[in-house]
Amino acid sequence: MKKAITITQAILCLLLLTCGVVFAQNPARINIKGTAIDSSNAVMPFATVMLLTPKDSTLVNFGRTDEKGAFEFKNVKNSSYLLKISSVGYLPFQEEIKPTDKAINDLGNLKLKPIAKELMEVVIKTARAPLSIKGDTIEYNAASFKVPPGSTVEDLLRKLPGVQIDQEGNIKAQGQDVKKVTVDGKQFFGSDPKLATKNLPAEAITKIQVFNDKTEQSKVTGIDDGKKEKTMNLELKESFKKGGFGKATVGVGTDQRAELKGNYNKFDSKQQFAFIGNMNNTNQGGISWDDYQDFKGSSAFNWGDDADFGFSSGRRFIYFGDEDEGVSISPGGGGNRNRGFSSNGSAGLNYNYDTKKTKFTSSYYYNQVRSVMDSYSFRRTFLQNNESFDTKDTSNRTSFNGNHRVNLRFQKEIDSLNTLIVISNSRFTDASNTYGSNQYFYKNNLFRNGTEIDNSGGKNSFGTVNSAIYRHKFKKKGRSFAISAGYNMNQGDANARQVALNNFLNATTVNDAIKNIRQLNTTNSTTNLYKGSLLFVEPLNKKLFLETFYNTSLQSSKVNRDVDSIYIKNEKEAYSIVNELSRNYLNEIRYNRVGTSLRYSSKGLNLSGGLAWQHYNLTGEFINNKLTQVKGIVSRSFSAFAPNVSLNYDLKNNRYLYAEYSVGVQEPNIRDLQPIVDNSNPRYISEGNPDLLPQVTKTVSGGFNKFDPATFINLYINFNFDSYTNQVVYNQTIDENFITRTKPVNISGGWSAGPYLGFGFPLKKTKATMNVNSSIFYSKNLSYINGILNNTNNDNYNIGVRLDLTPLDWFTFYANANFGISNTKYSINSDQNQQVFNNNFGGDMNIKFPKGIYFNTKFNYRVYKNERFGFDQKIPLMNMSVYKVVGKAQKAELRFTAYDIFKRNLGITQSANQNFVSQERVQTLSRYFMLSFTYNMRGVKAQIRKRNSWD
Amino acid sequence: MKKYSILYSSILLFVASLTFAQKDEGIITFERMVHYPKIIARLPYLSQEEKDRVKLTWGSDDEWKEKMKLVFNPTKSLYTYLNDQGESEDGTWAWRNDELIITRDFEKEKKTEIIEMLGKTYIVDDSLHTPNWKVMNQIKDVAGYICMKAVTEDTVKKQKITAWFAGDIPVSAGPERYFGLPGAILELDINEGDVVITATKVEFKKLDKELIMPKAKGKKIKDVDYDALLRNHLKDSIKSQRNPYWAIRY
Repeated sequence: MKKAITITQAILCLLLLTCGVVFAQNPARINIKGTAIDSSNAVMPFATVMLLTPKDSTLVNFGRTDEKGAFEFKNVKNSSYLLKISSVGYLPFQEEIKPTDKAINDLGNLKLKPIAKELMEVVIKTARAPLSIKGDTIEYNAASFKVPPGSTVEDLLRKLPGVQIDQEGNIKAQGQDVKKVTVDGKQFFGSDPKLATKNLPAEAITKIQVFNDKTEQSKVTGIDDGKKEKTMNLELKESFKKGGFGKATVGVGTDQRAELKGNYNKFDSKQQFAFIGNMNNTNQGGISWDDYQDFKGSSAFNWGDDADFGFSSGRRFIYFGDEDEGVSISPGGGGNRNRGFSSNGSAGLNYNYDTKKTKFTSSYYYNQVRSVMDSYSFRRTFLQNNESFDTKDTSNRTSFNGNHRVNLRFQKEIDSLNTLIVISNSRFTDASNTYGSNQYFYKNNLFRNGTEIDNSGGKNSFGTVNSAIYRHKFKKKGRSFAISAGYNMNQGDANARQVALNNFLNATTVNDAIKNIRQLNTTNSTTNLYKGSLLFVEPLNKKLFLETFYNTSLQSSKVNRDVDSIYIKNEKEAYSIVNELSRNYLNEIRYNRVGTSLRYSSKGLNLSGGLAWQHYNLTGEFINNKLTQVKGIVSRSFSAFAPNVSLNYDLKNNRYLYAEYSVGVQEPNIRDLQPIVDNSNPRYISEGNPDLLPQVTKTVSGGFNKFDPATFINLYINFNFDSYTNQVVYNQTIDENFITRTKPVNISGGWSAGPYLGFGFPLKKTKATMNVNSSIFYSKNLSYINGILNNTNNDNYNIGVRLDLTPLDWFTFYANANFGISNTKYSINSDQNQQVFNNNFGGDMNIKFPKGIYFNTKFNYRVYKNERFGFDQKIPLMNMSVYKVVGKAQKAELRFTAYDIFKRNLGITQSANQNFVSQERVQTLSRYFMLSFTYNMRGVKAQIRKRNSWD
Repeated sequence: MKKYSILYSSILLFVASLTFAQKDEGIITFERMVHYPKIIARLPYLSQEEKDRVKLTWGSDDEWKEKMKLVFNPTKSLYTYLNDQGESEDGTWAWRNDELIITRDFEKEKKTEIIEMLGKTYIVDDSLHTPNWKVMNQIKDVAGYICMKAVTEDTVKKQKITAWFAGDIPVSAGPERYFGLPGAILELDINEGDVVITATKVEFKKLDKELIMPKAKGKKIKDVDYDALLRNHLKDSIKSQRNPYWAIRY
């Protein structure tokens, strides 16, 4: 490099010297003058005159012609220039000026040629296409001329200024016949110019050039006969925005583990098509965020799809449904690697049509999970008077779940004031399961009784969620109106076979000592939900808006449940109905809400306050006993005022403040309302409650965020407080045989609160970053245990530290440590108060070796301590992988992975709840090794650093 | 340096002597469109797969628009937001604009710029440094004016700059930090369409107070410091694999 410069410099010096010798007598500075005239020799005033360097057109000096068309550059360096004169309606004039020996270089009259009028009018003014001038060639952009899809070049040419096409397709440009049409400068299939124009699609063309070319004859003979032919050149688009790419991974492991995964995308400027598929028996269900985005493309995230209008807080969210029950595909889930064994399969197709005005998306996605879970659990349940009992349970569950999902969305901008959105998402599920369990009950370490369960069942269900939203903006800025309608339906047919054998040691009679259940349940349920919403926004002034909304809905659910007992008659199974457990049930919830709020929005301050009134009317009709057909009637109504206040404030320099007070009213879920007795686990019998009232939650929340992009320091502080009225809790009655019966009821007085603090800063910019976070969580949970109010108080304290070390391009290390203490206090049984320590230490290391070899290891060490139960567990988990990017094009990756090297993934979970603590151990995927191969059409890029976010 | 001063004196000379002068004072309204997927596609640490993901997801709905204005007379110009706050299309949601006021004084060859970036407000007070323009052979219409093409390069942000200037508006003003052509810049294209700033309206009128720079608090720096700040930020961000352009104007 340096050498090259010196050589250039030497040449330059030499040149300068020579110049100096030759033009020694030339003045150093001169004046350059001239006069601009047009083709009719009239002077051109007010034209722009520029002096450019001839080498690269760098602007050196500029000026304008005066009333007489004259210009003069005074006292400019005497060197070579490119003189350029431009004026509206004329082709820019260009002339090279050499250094001169005169003090004043008079260029005389300089003639500018006009641009053809139609080019000016149509190309420049109407189509707003840039005109490129190359000598006498004028070139313009075909993309500026709109023709319908499927048009040929001929159709396009008809639109072009100065071009005429007759019946036969002969082309005339500027009044002259076009003798030749070339494509990318080459003759297109012989000499007939019509061949190209009639056959090529207009979409494939980017530029059209019309110029005078020498005749073929003069080209052959080499003698310029002075004749020129009008020639048209069509320039093809590089690839007119079409593309396709894909990725596939196949992996084979020890312990019969295998993975297969792939996706393919194809798209052009308006359409996107995607396929995704996944199969594995390594507990990896669900769809990751990245895969979801690749699959859904431009329809991955949609704003304004919420048809239930209400208070607007100034922050926007997109909600995704529940992974299993939801009707649309929701990313981010993915099963729990530490719970049992699962085989997963999924496949989907997505199609998007996407233009500025019309957007349509459709997708079909199927996923299935087959799982096996063998678990052992220990549970201690607290009763009043400081009593408790223990349950030991060995169980086996198998389940299959297959979901077909069809998602459709259509959005049309009818015009600048009206928009319509129609969404239809549906799911069909086929599920089956078996459940076997051996439960043993102890009190004071003495075995009291036991139960054996052997259940199986299946379920078909169909759910659909449909909504249409129409938005209208009025001419008056800020005034708008929206209306929405929705229909949701859920339909399910379930059958279950329940076999349980109960053994009570303290019973006095044989009948009491052994209680068997052999039942067949069939449940058919249908829920219909009809919804409608209105929203009207009226601007009071530029900053103040009045928003008024109304929501109404009717939800009706119908359930028919038949319970039959199974007995053997003539060596065959026979059934007889159990009237006490069979139900026929109809339930309706009518909901109406009307609300209004005043919102102030200006320069980053959004403040709003409002009030809504909502009313619920719950009616139910059920037949509790099919024999007597006695009808029970429930009819309740409930209304509440729900205020809402929110603040969002952009405090400048990346600081944000937000706070909200809201009252949420949540109707009871259908399951809790159904007066159905679920005895699938005869030791834990649950029953619904049609008398439930909606739960009211008052929430106060707020926070402050700051990010300094110069120093990379960030700070997050927030807090949240919830208090509950009519909270839905599950009361428990536990009888002397330790059979628990639960029923949801409303209770008031529970609350939870928690502040959070996060702070991140670089220890050394770009090389080491430290993050500290800390949170506290308090909660008070109320419930009745055997009719006595139990008050469970929880307080949790957490501190986490993360250190990101990214010192080198080939080495990164991420370490984290989390410390947690949680205290649980039971008012009915203070002997059982407990303290749990939950600490976690992790590390993640990436190393890049030469020859495209990479190494990654993740280590996690979990410490769990509960002194009351003498529980002190330390679980080290380690994964490691080595991979190499292979192939010249760097499109493939070969990877060897070792999971759970220490074979310590024991699937242990522990929890302390309202009146019990439990420890569970599930047999799960432990050590295995896998060899996998990935091919990515777009190349593999190894990731040494973790992504900050997806920017 | 000398070259520029000659350039300016000549502008002034020509401009002052013109009687067409009605067209040299007024307000140009611009629409500034930012295409984030294109910008993200330039981040060197992202894989092709990640870039395609952004393009497929956001590519068809990628225009972030804001309205700007350029107030000019033959000797001065001021460029800032058209409105004092950012607004949603229907005007019902408003947000704060980062501070941005760019002024030029062609007579005194001075400039003052108030720029909020990297979480701070800076005041760049310096003499004028004209970009090195190359004038090209293309013309097109912008807002009813025939414009010529000129190109230059931002050596700090490594951006290709294309400007379309109108010879009919004989002032050297332009949007963002660009100026110094034989006519007002009516369209500015940063890096082949990543950001496009296009004039939507040109209005000639006698100016009153529009050119007066409001008072502002901030850290006073020179062009050299400004460039150094950007260079460091770009280097650190790319090294840390963060998108630098969330914190600075592209």
